[in-house]
Amino acid sequence: MKELLAKARGWIQSRFFNRDNPTGSKRVLVNEILSIQVLTAALFGGLAIASLYWGGQWVLQDNYGRWALQWTQELNELGSPLYLSDDEEAVIRLESFVERYPEIDRVSYYAKDGTTLFAVDNREELAEPQPLSQDRLESAKAVIGDKQPYVMESELLNPRQFEILAPVWTESIVGDGLFDYDAEGGEIPTRTELLGFVGIHLDFVLFHDRLLANIKGAVLILMVLLMIFAFYGRRALQNALTSISNLQEPIKELAKGNLGVKFSPAEHREISDIVEALETTATALSERDAKLLEMANHDSLTGLFNRRRFTEELKKEIISVMRKGHSSALLFVDLDQFKYINDACGHPAGDRLIRKVADELQRSVRHDDVVARFGGDEFAVLVRRTDIHGATSSAETILANMRRMAHIEDEHVFHVHCSIGMAMISGDNLHFDELINQADIACREAKAAGRNRLSIYERTEKVVKKDSADVGWMNRLRNAVDNDEFELRFQPINRIRTGETTHHEVLLRLRGENNTIVSPDAFLPSAMRFGLMTEIDFWMIENAAKAYSVYAVPARSLRLSINLSANAFENDDLVEHIQGCFEKYQVDAKDIIFEITESLAVRHPMHVERQIAALRDMGCRLALDDFGTGYSSFSYLQKLHFDYIKIDGTFVEDLVNNPVDQKMIKLIAEIGAEAGMETIAEYVQDADSLTLLEELGVDLAQGFFVGKPTKKPEHKSTPISLDSRRMRAPNFPQGN
Amino acid sequence: MPGKGFPAVKSKIYAIFFAVFLLPGCASLYPDGPPGAGDPAAMQSEALADDGPLKPIRVRRLTREPWNLELPSVAIVMTSSQPAYADVAVELAERLNNYVVYDLGDDSAPPVTVLRRINDSNSDVVVAIGLRAAQSSVAMADRPVVFSQVFNYQDHRLLTATSRGVAALPPLDAQVAAWKKIDPTVARVGVIIGEGHDALLQDARRAAERFDIELRVQISRSDQETLYYFRRMIRDIDGFWLFPDNRILSTRVLREMLADAKRQQVPVTVPSESMLPLGATLSISTVAADIARTIVKVIREIQGGNLDSIPPITQLSEIRVATNGAIQVVDR
Repeated sequence: MKELLAKARGWIQSRFFNRDNPTGSKRVLVNEILSIQVLTAALFGGLAIASLYWGGQWVLQDNYGRWALQWTQELNELGSPLYLSDDEEAVIRLESFVERYPEIDRVSYYAKDGTTLFAVDNREELAEPQPLSQDRLESAKAVIGDKQPYVMESELLNPRQFEILAPVWTESIVGDGLFDYDAEGGEIPTRTELLGFVGIHLDFVLFHDRLLANIKGAVLILMVLLMIFAFYGRRALQNALTSISNLQEPIKELAKGNLGVKFSPAEHREISDIVEALETTATALSERDAKLLEMANHDSLTGLFNRRRFTEELKKEIISVMRKGHSSALLFVDLDQFKYINDACGHPAGDRLIRKVADELQRSVRHDDVVARFGGDEFAVLVRRTDIHGATSSAETILANMRRMAHIEDEHVFHVHCSIGMAMISGDNLHFDELINQADIACREAKAAGRNRLSIYERTEKVVKKDSADVGWMNRLRNAVDNDEFELRFQPINRIRTGETTHHEVLLRLRGENNTIVSPDAFLPSAMRFGLMTEIDFWMIENAAKAYSVYAVPARSLRLSINLSANAFENDDLVEHIQGCFEKYQVDAKDIIFEITESLAVRHPMHVERQIAALRDMGCRLALDDFGTGYSSFSYLQKLHFDYIKIDGTFVEDLVNNPVDQKMIKLIAEIGAEAGMETIAEYVQDADSLTLLEELGVDLAQGFFVGKPTKKPEHKSTPISLDSRRMRAPNFPQGN
Repeated sequence: MPGKGFPAVKSKIYAIFFAVFLLPGCASLYPDGPPGAGDPAAMQSEALADDGPLKPIRVRRLTREPWNLELPSVAIVMTSSQPAYADVAVELAERLNNYVVYDLGDDSAPPVTVLRRINDSNSDVVVAIGLRAAQSSVAMADRPVVFSQVFNYQDHRLLTATSRGVAALPPLDAQVAAWKKIDPTVARVGVIIGEGHDALLQDARRAAERFDIELRVQISRSDQETLYYFRRMIRDIDGFWLFPDNRILSTRVLREMLADAKRQQVPVTVPSESMLPLGATLSISTVAADIARTIVKVIREIQGGNLDSIPPITQLSEIRVATNGAIQVVDR
């Protein structure tokens, strides 16, 4: 039934309502609702007509019954004289009665035995009346005295025609019943006498025709009403659904991302609720968009523009410069010693400082200048519409304000200075990437020049060349990391007194063009500059571990010393990476020595302490590299518990001729000995230096004289001095 | 149709009019006493006071029957104990010293047994009240029978050499006189009756003529025919006189006739007060005491050996008139 209804609805819709939409791909709400209504109305109309027909039939049948009773009584009365007397008037009355009712085709009177006595026909074409059958006689006799004293018969397929057969009888009160007649009392005994039967043939064709005509009229009216209803209903529905239709375009706009779309106010409560909800949604989306935009454009810590947004602003400014011919400036600001505060007082303190610096920078520049945080302690400032003097003035203002700024943390007062690199944006310098590099380079130059100062990028030929080289190195190093183009070299470190190799320092080389080998001095500055040191260090750790797994044999132990840059050491994943490599290549951690520079240890003492503790927990040992060139802070030596102190090569290079260097090395060796650390002298080029180093108390030596870097770890003993031999052989004669 | 009928709403007015003015007139219709009235001084009606209230008045005997001591022993046989029979028996018993009452309706004994007992008793006369009692008595009693309350005595051949009857209807001329007094406009009266009542119809026609009333008579053979004739004639009459001929009446037809008459506002005079609720306007019936007195009179004649001189049916002398709201007795 449901399928049938659905098909009918679909048919109606496709036939009558899809004219405006020949493709039929989308259903139209108005048409669908209307089709449902029309279908429902037609269904109920059909049911109503059917009910009307059957109801009319029922009423007619009921009336036929009533008329039958009345006519039977009248014909009974009219017919009695025919049985009892020859009253001609009775016949006339009977004929007149029959003529009065066109529904009566014929009235027949029968004798008691069923033979026809008399018949009055209303129609001429009727057949001769037939005597009553015995069955009909008996059934008619049985109803004598009933409330409905007749038998009514009709053909099943022809309910318009009826045959009524009724007995004609007389009654009389028994005895002298009228003397004791009691109207209020019970039944008075009566005597019944059957006279005969009366048969009535009825044809209600007139009523049926009239009923059918009425029903046809009703159907016609219903159809007309349905048509009117369909046309009017369509318009009414369209009007009613205008509010929904009005939502179509705004919703499309909303779907396109136009969150500022305006919705027309709806008249209907339900649609009004939807409009309100859509407006709320649009507002919420708009706010979220704004928030996302804010997050995408701003630094979450300071609220300043981030690097991406700053770059956009820079590009706009470049375009502005190109169009209008003025000049602007880009300042790259890097805080000095920020990491010290971060490590000493924790990240929250560092964050507070960064926010303070951001505020200070904002206050230091003009309103339409742009300040951004590039990350960490790096900031950038776009000074619009200015020449080199104005830009310099702005930078000086920043420097001055920063110098004045004091940051109090944990009852300590920190003075944070900054280094500023400046690049001018002018007609011949308009590439934003280059501009940022220039400012960055200038900033590094400022730092290199002693920090807390301004450096202005100058596009000299040398600088351009160097920059080009730097950029070239950056690409080359990136490829080297990605394609394993680095190579390892192993330089032995020997114990001076015995000459035996205790371990090897792992050195990094880059295979250059024409199969040449490039030393680290050529590419490490660029690697540090472009932030590739961590990746290079990680590469070196993994490949050193791999070499360990290859060259470490049970017969001869292999210990490797690996350099770690400050960038790698600052990386929180360092220890995890080392562990992973050690596990992968089955490296015994106690055979690995990590070298960190003195400057790294000094700059990040707390972080270094944590990393060192973690490495020590693994079993690794540590060496302090290039000791003596920087801070030479002996307190760190004690605090960080290094295993080795590597004396910088500058002290060894001219050791034989320089008594100061000798005194310095002796002092370092004594301190190391006191602190339980072995000292390693680098850059040992000859036997005299080696002999002198032994005399000064240095334990280990490294250099070309001891052993050049090789592709594989080699164990080559160095010649030992006579004193050493004497010390090792007690029987050897002691010289004076 | 003014003056043609008695609408129910007018019945009380007519009753007052009847009680105050007409009944004294009815009593004076026969200043020398009605024909056949053997004992005019025997009864007196209290209802004839000029200023008496309009209410039913029972008839009571003021003096004892002077000839009681000479009356023979009487066996009274009732068809049933219905009031129409029992009232007569009671009135009769008051006028007799030696009597026995038998009720055929109590089913204590079949009529044969009852009549056998009567035949075995020393009763001189049998008084049968009602058709069944009369049929049994005439058929089985071996002594004179006086029957009453039987209308179609001819059909049942109740008149024999030893049996006589008392009229079942009050005197016809008195009926017409009373009707005319009540409704002076009545001029065409219809009558439908079964076969065999020629004498009755003759008397009726005579009484009607006396009061300038046209009597339209139709002989019927069944209740259906009665209804048929009634409906034919009802448009042409302004009153219908219903006789208690049970052969041509059925309960249904009786009800329909009275209902039709009421619809057509044709007053119908009926022989029993019990038919008034069906729509009849006026009832003119017999008086039990009058019947009893008439029976006693016939018994005396029989006692005097004048059986042959006694008319087959002895007429009554009193009528009992009632409208829809009041019943009065006219004593002639």
